[in-house]
Amino acid sequence: MTERLSSSAELAHPAAAFKSVRSWLARYGMVVVLPILLGLGGVMSPAFLSADNFSNLLLQFAPLAIVAMGQSFVMIVRGLDLSVASMMATTAVISTSFSGTDRDIANIFAASFIVAVAVGLLNGFLVTKRQVSPFLATLATMILLQGFRFAYTQGAPSGNVPPLLRVLGSAKIGGIPYNSLVLLIVAVALAIVLHRSAFGRRIFIVGGSPVTGRLFGIRSDLVMVACYVISSCLAALAGLILSGYVGLVDNWVGQGYELDSIVACVVGRVSLKGGRGSILGALTGAAVLVVIANEVLLLGVPIQVQLIIKGAVIVIAAALYARREASSGYT
Amino acid sequence: MLTLKGISKSFPGVRALSGVSLEVRSGEIHGLVGENGAGKSTLIKIIAGAYAPDAGEICFADAPAHWSSPREAKQHGVHVVYQEFALFPQLSVAENIFIGHEPRNRLGMVDHARTRREAKELLLKLGVSLNPSARVASLSVADQQMVEIARAMVHNVKLLVLDEPTAVIAGREVALLFDRLRRLRASGVSVLFISHRLDEVFAICNRVTVLKDGRLIGTRDIGEVRREHLISMMVGRDLGDLFPERPATARSGRPVLRTEAVAIGDRVRDISIELRAGEIVALAGMVGAGRSELALGLFGALPISRGTIQVGDQRFTSISPAKAIKLGMGLVTEDRKSQGLAMLLDVAANISGPTLAEVTRQGLIDKRLESAIAAHEIERYRIVCRGPDAPIATMSGGNQQKVIVARWARICRSVLILDEPTRGIDIGAKAEIYRIMRTLADGGVGILMISSELTEVIGMADRVIVMREGRVTGELIDADVTEENIMNLATSERAA
Amino acid sequence: MPRWLRNNASLLGVMLLIGTVYLVGAVVSDRFLSFGNVLNVFEQTTDLALVSIGQTLVVLSGGIDLSVGSLISLTSCLTSGLINGNPDRIIPVVAAVLALGTVVGLVNAGLVIALHVHPLIITLGMGAILQGVTLLYALGPVGRVPRGFNFLAYGRILGLPLGATIAVVLSILIALLLRYLPLGRQIYAVGDDANAARLVGLPRTRVLMLVYGCSGFCCAATGLYLAARFGVGQPYTGVNYTLASITPVVLGGTILSGGKGGVVGTLLAAFLISLFNNLLNFMDVSKHYQLVAQALIIIFAVSVYVERRREE
Repeated sequence: MTERLSSSAELAHPAAAFKSVRSWLARYGMVVVLPILLGLGGVMSPAFLSADNFSNLLLQFAPLAIVAMGQSFVMIVRGLDLSVASMMATTAVISTSFSGTDRDIANIFAASFIVAVAVGLLNGFLVTKRQVSPFLATLATMILLQGFRFAYTQGAPSGNVPPLLRVLGSAKIGGIPYNSLVLLIVAVALAIVLHRSAFGRRIFIVGGSPVTGRLFGIRSDLVMVACYVISSCLAALAGLILSGYVGLVDNWVGQGYELDSIVACVVGRVSLKGGRGSILGALTGAAVLVVIANEVLLLGVPIQVQLIIKGAVIVIAAALYARREASSGYT
Repeated sequence: MLTLKGISKSFPGVRALSGVSLEVRSGEIHGLVGENGAGKSTLIKIIAGAYAPDAGEICFADAPAHWSSPREAKQHGVHVVYQEFALFPQLSVAENIFIGHEPRNRLGMVDHARTRREAKELLLKLGVSLNPSARVASLSVADQQMVEIARAMVHNVKLLVLDEPTAVIAGREVALLFDRLRRLRASGVSVLFISHRLDEVFAICNRVTVLKDGRLIGTRDIGEVRREHLISMMVGRDLGDLFPERPATARSGRPVLRTEAVAIGDRVRDISIELRAGEIVALAGMVGAGRSELALGLFGALPISRGTIQVGDQRFTSISPAKAIKLGMGLVTEDRKSQGLAMLLDVAANISGPTLAEVTRQGLIDKRLESAIAAHEIERYRIVCRGPDAPIATMSGGNQQKVIVARWARICRSVLILDEPTRGIDIGAKAEIYRIMRTLADGGVGILMISSELTEVIGMADRVIVMREGRVTGELIDADVTEENIMNLATSERAA
Repeated sequence: MPRWLRNNASLLGVMLLIGTVYLVGAVVSDRFLSFGNVLNVFEQTTDLALVSIGQTLVVLSGGIDLSVGSLISLTSCLTSGLINGNPDRIIPVVAAVLALGTVVGLVNAGLVIALHVHPLIITLGMGAILQGVTLLYALGPVGRVPRGFNFLAYGRILGLPLGATIAVVLSILIALLLRYLPLGRQIYAVGDDANAARLVGLPRTRVLMLVYGCSGFCCAATGLYLAARFGVGQPYTGVNYTLASITPVVLGGTILSGGKGGVVGTLLAAFLISLFNNLLNFMDVSKHYQLVAQALIIIFAVSVYVERRREE
């Protein structure tokens, strides 16, 4: 993943100096941005560096990070999953649909898993066998889930979140939230799958070029479907964790996570065009978003500005990572 | 009209052009020849304004030219017809011809009727009768080319650059094209004619320039140079050096591949061929004859609608790439970047690609093993790169192709199919690939090579099969393998 | 298949579906077929139609505009907030809002060109920024719209709902633009093959400015209409429109990768969607199941209209 080095003839031009700053930023930005943001936070407000605040940061980090990692799988195979937020809300509803006690934890997880796999399979089917654009396909499943959810709850969800889930979602041990531990385990597992396993290698090959994948004997379609299933399952997990955090459940748990996860991935250098990305990138992107949100809150800056900053961040990040089309390669 | 002085251009890892100077006079048809990888397409892109040269000057119509975009070049009167066409598949013929310069009525609005009418007239002048409202995607490749050329005729073109225009047309269509070019020349337009077909270069050009390995070899008047001389300027060595020895027993092995009445989509109609162990069979024909589709179909990448394929002793009515690989087959595709390589990965990943299971231990990839395998191949074929972890995208075309060939060569047991294996690569890599091909063949593999470069066909093939419009029109061996015979079969009406 | 049939397959499909819905509706209720109900549906389509028309242009050029929802919220709030019950301000505010929408669209186009970033990301970011700006202006319902202004949403002209008629007129204008303006034809080219468009030297900048500018204009128009309809501006009023504006575009035959389609199909598809909701209301289907039905329509439609596969 190297950047093209400017040739000596081009560097003489002042515009090229800007270009090389940009390419430096693109290459190292991701490593540097988080420490800078954290440092900035410390400077802006002493409350930022408190253990309490960090704990809260981690609490908010886990659900977004998990969804972002799932989204990165889909983005690497040139797709997009807009249904993740709806999936989160659905599992949140599922978590309150049983007795509300710990006896039904297994049922809750099982039901969530089944729904997630079904949705992932549907998304994958539409994208691979029907050549529907991922945007449209996952948009449709998003609405579908929403419809079922509303129909099921009649617009008014009720019920309790089991205590175990509440612990998982909001409690801490030694200052570290339980959900961070879950995140850690999941992240490590996903990183091994994506970056070390043969399946992960197939994902990158197919994402770079599905045709090449097919010519390598890889079932490109199956790989893509698998990625959508992974995304849905991770979204389901995040939904359960978030329902534990929020405590009460409405039909809108996780609202905004679909776009936030895409933003996190883009900032984390997972490319929309496919074939590029990493678990670490998704995590970094999610962290950047969460830290910015936190700092904005601490500064007492109104939520509106947060949105503006979020918008600006995604545009800037994408612009930094963009490759210029003009100098296409040598044939 | 056009003067290039000392043009140089480099890309990461490779020097495409060094110090090339070229002059195209007004009212001349100037030929540009050179082997694959000589730098012709880079030069064209620079003339077109798509690339900027690293060094050198360009002068057009007696004024210095520093074009920052193709649009600017076009405005000055430079029009390029690319080999791959710059057409819009969903738009109509008339719209494609006039896009950007739509005929307008008095109100300044697009006059569709006039667009269609003038398009039809332009095409008729080229000797082609097409429905101006037809979607370009539905046309044959030859017809599409006519649309491209008609587009060039639309407005004040001072320099027309044609990149391999006769790769897709032949016979009567070529004659018509030449007629039109002569008319253009008479009216003062200059033409830069890039082609592999030396016969045609001799037929239409006033002067010819030879490029080799990114350098200018020389410019000659067409009357003052002979064909063999031109070839030796292009290749720079005795042709005999380039192509390995052909063993006499090449055609006597047992059959490794046989097809019976295979049809694939609507491009391959009825193909029955046989490939034997140890022989190199060249598949010749015009672009659009269905050769690439046949290759993809044999490998399982395209579904076979009729007929059977027999690999060794096993017969199939359908096949998949995974199965093909298990049967010991390999496919080097025509399009390196989008079909043959995982462009975003490194050399090691590109070598292990089809055989991931080999380097997988308990579901995880053994990177050390993968790297060792790649290092072995890198050394064996003298692939120029940083090492097994070098990103494939930074390597030259020739080295990329070597990686692809190395990948298949190490696992191929029965059949290796290569589609235009030396397109766009330098002479050194070419020689290497030819050597690999012959070594594989000597080891018992049957090689099917699709090629449009007739010197390559004549130099490498033990047997030549010629296709036209999805059918085999003939087979040639030994002394019958000549450019003339191949072209006749490629454009004839009779089927074998 | 005859060429005219293949080219217009989606249009015919949508019309067929509209016919089917009417057939079913006829069985369900007499009132469904009444002229009054047709006008009613016509009127209900206005907002969706307005925003989808602009989106059609953007999609045709090979892009997408995800900032529409926020822009609608912003223009809606500005309209009612700035007019604030004062009839004298109507005309200048309307003009200013329309201009603002167009300018925002131009900014989107400019960023896409200058930064070499996919429109999906640019408009996504802009959407967030615009929503933030909207919330800076108003955290809750804001402003007031004088009685005269409501005419825009509820009035009739020649017996037809004014808002819907304006939407139809707007789409006719845009359809003409697409067909007769040279730049309009070039939109299709850029969407069909951006690389070829570059090689041929088409003015991509002007094309993108046109489509995103129009989209911004249409969003502003939608915002105006919504302000007129609700009497106040709401900062979250546009939220659902972003994704909702894509459905009529796709159902109407414009393919997401660009280069093929048109506004007529979008308009018909928007009508179909409203009609379908109308039918569900008549059938007393609860609002919740309506969502399911909508999603099923989308899934059915996209499964049937297999898009041209784009290999890169």
